Amino acid sequence: MRLPKFQYLEPATLAETIPLLMEHQGRSKVIAGGTDLLVALKQRLHTPAYLISLSNLAALKGIREEDGMVTIGPLTTLEGVSAAPLIREKLPGLAQAAWEVGSPLLRPMATIGGNLCLDNRCRFYNQSLFWRSARQPCCKAGGKVCHVTNKENACFSTYSGDVAPVLIALQAEIKLVGSQGERILPLEQFYTGDGRRPNLIGGGEAELLTEIRIPLSSHTGCMYKKYRLRDSIDFPVVGVAVALRLDQPQGICREAKIVITGVGSRPVEATQAGEKLTGREMRPEFILAASETAAAEIHPVRTDQVGPSFKRHLVRVMVAEIIRELGGVDR
Amino acid sequence: MKRIITLVVNGEQREVAVEPDLTLLEVLREDLGLTGTKKACNQGECGACTVLLDGKPVSSCLVLAVRAHGKAVVTVEGLAENGRLHPLQEAFVTYGAVQCGFCTPGVLLVAKALLDTNPHPTAQEIEQAIAGNICRCTGYVKIIEAITAVAQNQNI
Repeated sequence: MRLPKFQYLEPATLAETIPLLMEHQGRSKVIAGGTDLLVALKQRLHTPAYLISLSNLAALKGIREEDGMVTIGPLTTLEGVSAAPLIREKLPGLAQAAWEVGSPLLRPMATIGGNLCLDNRCRFYNQSLFWRSARQPCCKAGGKVCHVTNKENACFSTYSGDVAPVLIALQAEIKLVGSQGERILPLEQFYTGDGRRPNLIGGGEAELLTEIRIPLSSHTGCMYKKYRLRDSIDFPVVGVAVALRLDQPQGICREAKIVITGVGSRPVEATQAGEKLTGREMRPEFILAASETAAAEIHPVRTDQVGPSFKRHLVRVMVAEIIRELGGVDR
Repeated sequence: MKRIITLVVNGEQREVAVEPDLTLLEVLREDLGLTGTKKACNQGECGACTVLLDGKPVSSCLVLAVRAHGKAVVTVEGLAENGRLHPLQEAFVTYGAVQCGFCTPGVLLVAKALLDTNPHPTAQEIEQAIAGNICRCTGYVKIIEAITAVAQNQNI
């Protein structure tokens, strides 16, 4: 299948980009690495009149550390993030998550910003035009009914980015720049939970993600694990990120942030599980209780080949595994 | 509107007029006649369309041709030199790492990129490097053997 016709715009600076976003709002798409967008275009999920390329915005690339904060430009490739010595040394969980995205052929092109802006996915939506033409358009494709749940005006498509859960667990912030100026917000507020418009800028808003900032002092250990059907290349069935702050190695947990992808219309934080662990020692019974709680507080629906009960099981196993590894607890 | 782009394809400078909605894969196959690069899933999942873009293996079905402007592209046609097969190609023949052959151009290029940056990879590094290239004949063992042989400079 070929790409639809579009006009290709290549602004040279951020200052040129924002007016273009405003001028073509609603009929344009922003292209960073393009590894996900071009597939969606080929499937005719979008047919924008304009494609606004960010490839000339060199200022949005690169990784640096200042004032106890790691700042990543959203156009940094996932390969660049996973291979950067600074990230590997200080944020190994993030390096791992970036490395788990797609395949080695996609990571040199795909960007971390593009991954954060990943559209939600569903087995009834991410299909070719021909496949989708067999039934009425689903809610996400502009129709009325969600084919997964048969509910009207509610989309249950699943967020399946790998990087966002780690960044949320690490309490990262992002900077959005638009015509009204810039704003900085916690990454978790970037996601809406509405499957049709999963993040603040995915609906064609005239705003651009320009910076990702990660504080370095908030945790003692962070890890990401991903379960997928094909180990070499796939979206996660379930991905779990945990960031722990312990008072000493194998000591008492002061803070636990558990964020899960693949189980809801946004990256889902298992807050109750995190609270259950807080103030506790790293002992098997507490870890088990937290993982049981995490499995109970998510509400996956069958948007891919894997059903909700198995996703719950995966969460239970993966959360416990990660906390054991971070806490230095034997099985 | 068409644009003129310049590519260095297998060491040779080429100018092509392309529409922005063409992928690098389509330009290589249809405008430049380099059909060694295969079109299979066309969604970046299978690796059959792999080319080296400035030395890095990428799925050319997900690269807009206009974005490759000014870059160096290596396709499978660029591996042989002066009528002699590349050592990797020799090894693939010797070890029987080719069955239907559809994934072979992509795997060869990924292997070349790996050995260019890491001349003596471990078996695990080889497996990870070719993870994005799907061989439906499932001949992975012989592919890995062939790449290992070249890495160890064995007589092919």
